[in-house]
Order: sequence, then structure tokens, then C-alpha cells
Amino acid sequence: MKSETFGRIDDPAVPPGEYLDLAFSPLSAPLRSRWRNNGLSADFLGDYVTTFLPAGDGIASDQRHQNEIKHAVTYIANELLENAMKYHQADRHVAIAIRLELTSENITVTSTNGISGEQAGQYRLFIDRLSQGEAGDLLVKHLEAGAKRGAAASSGLGLLTMVCDYGAELGWRFEGLPGAPDSGTVTTRAVLSIRNILGVSQ
Amino acid sequence: MTFVNGQSFEVNLDPATATVFFKGALRLTGSEDYAPILTILRATLAREGNQVIVDLRELDFLNSSGITMFSRFVIEARDRGDTALTFVASDSVPWHARSLKNLQRLMPALQIRIG
Repeated sequence: MKSETFGRIDDPAVPPGEYLDLAFSPLSAPLRSRWRNNGLSADFLGDYVTTFLPAGDGIASDQRHQNEIKHAVTYIANELLENAMKYHQADRHVAIAIRLELTSENITVTSTNGISGEQAGQYRLFIDRLSQGEAGDLLVKHLEAGAKRGAAASSGLGLLTMVCDYGAELGWRFEGLPGAPDSGTVTTRAVLSIRNILGVSQ
Repeated sequence: MTFVNGQSFEVNLDPATATVFFKGALRLTGSEDYAPILTILRATLAREGNQVIVDLRELDFLNSSGITMFSRFVIEARDRGDTALTFVASDSVPWHARSLKNLQRLMPALQIRIG
């Protein structure tokens, strides 16, 4: 699988700021039985981020603002984990991982999972459409298509809502695995500006 | 059927007022798992010229598959042409202000009331 990056994604060699990693070893249990784990992990990251926020920092310490940040992180972490669990290619020994990272301006949530070459191709097509169109229009088209044709047509909705409803900037890294030409890993990153989440003009 | 619940949620239909009450956190895996809830929502469309209320004030969390379910219901209500649909939201639940506007884009006549 070809290695390439799209959108807002940092050089992996650059060490992140403060961060928290959760990783799940390759899972063999059925999707349904491990689904609950997504919610628990996402709730944990949402709770955890509020402890990262500097106490006494005017805008972020307010209870209502903390609630907004907590919810945004929980929603985005949940969607990234759901996608990672749905599309993870279980036969490769790649862990599903999610990282929460905080700087003074941004909160970043990043997921990594194994992916087949075919799914990577479909994911790239979605990224192409997102980079060429307006996310809000794509979102409405996805919802209309999902209503008519069912779940398959609405795949990608989680990412679109991150952009449209939470102002997230997305980035991706596809990487090949040695000795496995038709599979690899995908890293999906959502960057939230703390000011944007709180609706504070710059 | 007028009631569905799971580990983290409850959905109740009051047929007399065509009101569906949601409570908890909805993060089911996809359209198959959301089907019983969609069935309850659709039951409110049985009568013609109906006033339908979806009360979300106690629904703290909804994943994107849940957004798909609500959009299917809103599109069906819109396409009937004779349903007055109101979603009751809360300004203390962050996803309401962020995501309900998308449903209004699907059905401009949809009323969103902060209750």
C-alpha cells in the first residue's frame, strides 16, 4: 500500500505536546461485544481532557465551556473509535490506538487502525470529495443518501459532522506494512481549536 | 411497540400526544440496531395532518449512526407534506445546538424549540 498524507497531519518525527494514548491489541471478539468499549473510552477521554485544561484560564475554566470541550472530545473520540473498530483489518498485528493531545490552542484526537488496500482506496475517494466540496453540502447529501439507501451510503458521516458541527480540521496518513502489499495502517487526526469550540472570536 | 431501552438509553412513545421521549446516550452500531427506534418514530406518522413532537432534552449523547436515523425520520416526515414536526432541545446539552441544524437543512419547516 502506498504511503501518503492528506490534510492537517504532522510529521510523526515531531514529538507531540502533552498526550494520552489508549491502545487496544488486535481484537478477535465480535464487533457488537466490543462496541461498548468505544463509549467507555470516549467518555474517559472527554472527562480526562477537562483535567488537562489550565485551571483559572478565563475562557476554558468556566463550567459551561468545560462541558462544551468535554462533549466535543467525547463525540470525536467516539466517532474515530467506531470507524477504527468497523474498518480495522484484524488479521494484521496492528493495535487500534487513540491519542488525545493538548497544546495551549488545540485539542487533537488521533486514531490509528489497520486497513485493507481496498478500504484505503475507498477512504481516499472520500477524502478527495471532502477536499473538493463544501463539507456542509456533502453532509446534507450524505444524510439524504443515507435515508434512501441505508447505512452504507452514509459512511463518512462521522467525519463530516466533525468538520461541520465541531469545526475540526482533519488529516490522514496512510502507511504500508512491510511484507503486506495489500494492507497497511491509516491514521486519522481531528484538530479542534479551543477558541472555535468555545465560539470565541480570535 | 411504544418503548425501547438498552444499557444506556430509553425511548418512549406517548401515542395520545404523538410525542417520543428520548433519554440517556445513544451510540448503537448502525441502522440495524437503530431500526426498533425508527419504528417507534414512524408510528407517530400514522395519522394524517399530525403534530409530532420529538423530545430530546434528556438525550445527552447521539453518535453519527443516530444522526442518520433521525435524518431518515425527518425526511419521511418532510416527504409526507402534512406533518408538523417539532424537536424539543436543551441549551445545556452541547450536541443539540451543534447538530440539530443539519436536520433543519433537510426539512426547513422543522421546528426546534428550546424547552
